Amino acid sequence: MIEVKSLHKKFSKVIALDGLSFAAPEGQITGLLGPNGAGKTTCLRTIYGLLRADSGQALIDGVDANLHPLQARRHIGIFPDKFGLYERLTAREQVAYFATLHGMKGERREQAVAKVLSRLDMDAIADRRAQGFSQGQRMKVALAQAIVHQPKHLILDEPSRGLDVMSTRVLRDLLRELRQQGTSILFSSHVMQEVAALCDQVVVIAKGKVAAQGTTEELCELTGETALEEAFVKIIGTDEGIAA
Amino acid sequence: MSNPISIVWAKELKDALRDKRSVMAAMSYAFFGPLLMAVAFYVLISQLTDESDVAIDIKGAEHAPALIQHLEDQGIVERDKPWPAGQQPIILEIAGHWDEHVASAQPAEVILRADFSAQKQRTEIRRVEQAVASYSRQLGYIRLQMRGLDPQLISAIDLVKQDTATKGSKAAILMGSVLIFMLLSVFFSGMNVAIDISAGERERNSLELLLSQPLSSHQLVWGKALAASCFAIFGGILSVILIPVIFRFLPLQNIGISVVLEWPMLLLIMLLLTPLALFATALQLFVSFRAKSFKEAQTYISFLLMVPMLAVFGVEFSRLKNQILYYLPLTGQHQALLDIIKGETLQWIPMFISGLFTIAVSMLLLRLIGRMLNSEKVVFGL
Repeated sequence: MIEVKSLHKKFSKVIALDGLSFAAPEGQITGLLGPNGAGKTTCLRTIYGLLRADSGQALIDGVDANLHPLQARRHIGIFPDKFGLYERLTAREQVAYFATLHGMKGERREQAVAKVLSRLDMDAIADRRAQGFSQGQRMKVALAQAIVHQPKHLILDEPSRGLDVMSTRVLRDLLRELRQQGTSILFSSHVMQEVAALCDQVVVIAKGKVAAQGTTEELCELTGETALEEAFVKIIGTDEGIAA
Repeated sequence: MSNPISIVWAKELKDALRDKRSVMAAMSYAFFGPLLMAVAFYVLISQLTDESDVAIDIKGAEHAPALIQHLEDQGIVERDKPWPAGQQPIILEIAGHWDEHVASAQPAEVILRADFSAQKQRTEIRRVEQAVASYSRQLGYIRLQMRGLDPQLISAIDLVKQDTATKGSKAAILMGSVLIFMLLSVFFSGMNVAIDISAGERERNSLELLLSQPLSSHQLVWGKALAASCFAIFGGILSVILIPVIFRFLPLQNIGISVVLEWPMLLLIMLLLTPLALFATALQLFVSFRAKSFKEAQTYISFLLMVPMLAVFGVEFSRLKNQILYYLPLTGQHQALLDIIKGETLQWIPMFISGLFTIAVSMLLLRLIGRMLNSEKVVFGL
C-alpha cells in the first residue's frame, strides 16, 4: 500500500504540493489525474524519495522513502517521467541491469528477464541495441525495467505517452494482470480515456491538492455529470491542460 | 556481483567499451602523444648532430687561399646556391691587405656578417667562428715557433672541462617532457568515459531512474568512478609501455643520451599512476556531474585539464624545489617520476604518502559527488 499524508512542497516561490493526501491500496489501480503542472510528477518523485517534502509523509508499506530510501525502493517498480535508455546496451542487458540492482542474480535473473521480455512481446528486439528503438519500443524497455523484479508497488508517470494502439493494449493488459496479482499500482495521467478505462480509484489533483477522490462513477455522481471529462472539468474548474 | 558498486562498475565498463569514441580517446592519446614526441626528438637530434657542410658567401677568397683551404677542411664551403627566403646570408669577407698583414705579423681583418640572433643559423655561425679562430691560433703558433718561443707560453691556464653530467641526468632534461605525457595520459584517457557516465547519463534522461534504484548515491558514484578509472589507468599503462619502445628507435646515443628504463621501474611508474587515475576521474566526475549536457561538461573539463598541466609545467619551468611537492597529489607523482628517470635515490616514504594522500583526496571528492546526487537541486537542476 502506498500512502501519502499531507505532503507540502515548495520550489522557491511555487507551491507544488499543498497538503496532498491519498492512498493506493493493494490490488487496485489508482489514477492520479490532473492538468499539466498540478504536481503529479512532484508527488510521485516524493514517493520514491528523489524529492524531499517540506512536511508530510509518503509511505510505502509503512516505510518512509525519505528516511529509508533503499528499503522503500526495494519494493517498488518505477516508470519515471523521463526514461532514457543506454543506447549501447541491448534491451535484455538493460532489463538485466535493473534486475541485478534489485539483487537478482544467476539463473533466477535470466528467467525473470526472459519472462518479462516475452510478456511484453519484445522477443524480436530483446538482443538488439537500444540505438534506433522507436518510442514504443523504448517505452516497453522502460516498463520491463520497472517490473522485472516483481515489485509489490508500481509507480508510473504518464505511461501511455507516445504509444500506439497495440502497445497501449499491451500496457493495459499488463496493469490489469498485475492488479490481479495484488500489486498496488499508482499512475499519473492527464488522459481521461485511459483513467476511465483502467482505474479502480481516481484522485483528481489540482494546484497541489486533492480536488476529489473516488471511482469514476462516484466522481460523476458527485458532480451530476455523466461523463468523466465533464466531471473533471467541473471539479478543477477549468479545462486547461486536459486531453480527452 | 551482489555488491552494487561492482554491478554499476561492470555495466559502465561494458557500456564504455562499446563506445568507439571513448575507446579511441583512451587509445589515441597514449599512442599519438609519444609518437609525436618521437618525431620532435628525431628532428631535434638530426639538427644537433648535423655534420653536413656549411655553405656561406665568401668575399675576397682570392686573397687568402690557405685560409679557404683550412675552412674547407672544416666543412665550410663557398655557396653556389641562393639563400632561401627569410634567411639572412652569412658572409665572410677577407680584406685585400691580407697578404701584407700576414707577412708583417699584424692582425688581418676578416669580417663575419650575419644575423646573430637567428636561431636556425646559430650552429652554422658558430662553426664558421670556430674555424676562423682555429686558423688564427695555428698561424699564431707558427709565428711564435719561428721566433724561437714555445707556443705554450700563451696558454697560461689549461682549463680542463670535465662533464659530470651522467648520461642519465642529460636524459632527464629530455625525459622531463616525456614524463608530462605519462602523467597527463591518465587525465586524458578516462575523460570521455567520465563525461559519458555523468553528464551523458543526465542528458539521455537515465539519471532519475538510476537514482531511484535500491542503491545509495555513494555506491553509484564509486561504481562509475572505478569504471572511468579503469580507462584512465589503461591509457596510462599504454603510454608507459609505448614510450620506451618508441625511444628505442631514436638515435639518442648520437647526442650522448641514454634512456634505459628497466621493467621494475616501468612497473613502479604504473603503480604511481594508479592513484592518480582515480584522482583524475574523481575531479572529472565532480565537474561533469554538475553539467547538464555532454557539451557543457566538455567545456568544463577542458578548463579542468589546465590544472594538471599548469601544476606540472609550473614546477618544471620554475625549477621549484620544495620537499612539500613530494607529498601532494600530482606533484608527488611528478617528483617521484623525475627521480626514477634521473636515476636518483627514490624517496619511498614520500612516494607512499603522496599516493595515500591522492587516494584520500579522491575519496573525499567522490563523497562530495555522492552527497551532491542526493540533493534535488543538483539532480533536477532546480
